[in-house]
Amino acid sequence: MLDAFSRTVVSADAKGAAIGSQDLADLRKYVEDANKRIDATLAITQNVSCIAADAIAGMVCENTGLTQPGGHCYPTRRMAACLRDGEIILRYVSYALLAGDSSVLEDRCLNGLKETYLALGVPTSNAIRAVEIMKIATVAIMTETNTGRKMFKGINSGSGAQCQDIAAEAATYFDLVIEALS
Amino acid sequence: MKSAVTTVVSAADAAGRFPSMSDFESVKGSFDRAKARLEAAEKLASCLDKFTNDAVDAVYQNGSYEQANKDKCVRDIHHYLRLINYCLVTGGTGPLDEWGISGMREIIRIQLLPTTAYIEAFMFIRDEIKINEVMSQQAETELKGLLDYLINALA
Repeated sequence: MLDAFSRTVVSADAKGAAIGSQDLADLRKYVEDANKRIDATLAITQNVSCIAADAIAGMVCENTGLTQPGGHCYPTRRMAACLRDGEIILRYVSYALLAGDSSVLEDRCLNGLKETYLALGVPTSNAIRAVEIMKIATVAIMTETNTGRKMFKGINSGSGAQCQDIAAEAATYFDLVIEALS
Repeated sequence: MKSAVTTVVSAADAAGRFPSMSDFESVKGSFDRAKARLEAAEKLASCLDKFTNDAVDAVYQNGSYEQANKDKCVRDIHHYLRLINYCLVTGGTGPLDEWGISGMREIIRIQLLPTTAYIEAFMFIRDEIKINEVMSQQAETELKGLLDYLINALA
């Protein structure tokens, strides 16, 4: 598993070069933005059930057949598995966001996920839709552009507007999930 | 590769939980030291060739080693300093451990290399070169800590 720092090291080592000012500028920005990054991660961890439940509910509302007998979310046991998977994906996205690198998400969550779903007969198109909704919800909560109240309490009292860049980064991790399932 | 953030994430993943408040505290703690580390890495990168050449010149001056091997010695010292540069960036000894120290003893023994030459070179860099002229006190402390670590591993 890599983070923003070790990712720089691995790519520098491939070139056999020391890490100079150019590469360090990005890492300095990572360190400077650490507080925003932690706030953005808190936006996920404080709203896990909400994000996952909304996404699965949204997915079912768009395809009501899913909860009917014969549907993929019938009976409740399979619906519960769906919610559980939503939370697992959010967990790995939160790790990747904190580390500033997607390797943990790719190695430990996405690698083989599509094959597993195909083998179990999970319809990937619906799974992708749920991930899309989670992405939209997560970005909205992070940047405080969700309707209604502020959904998370950061440690640095930074407003969500400051999390724009980090939220965009979080969106790329959800995109990786979608890509892996497509 | 081990660093402050990956250690925390691995532990959280092993327990199947989301990163907690204490995880964030530990990540933040490592970032407090990051400024000095990154400065040391930057300055070391810009002085890498100079440090290497000065150290190797000093070691070979007294004539106790074969001059023919000098180029290879320069290459190796350069390599180790580059790994130290990586360690300063990651904030852990991962790069040195994984790419420089594990297996090193075996290689040095089988090729009958004099480890003392390496040790002398790194001790020269640590003690004789005026590192504080190119970087701040805190950065120097970070760099010297890693030089010590490497010297101990070689000894």
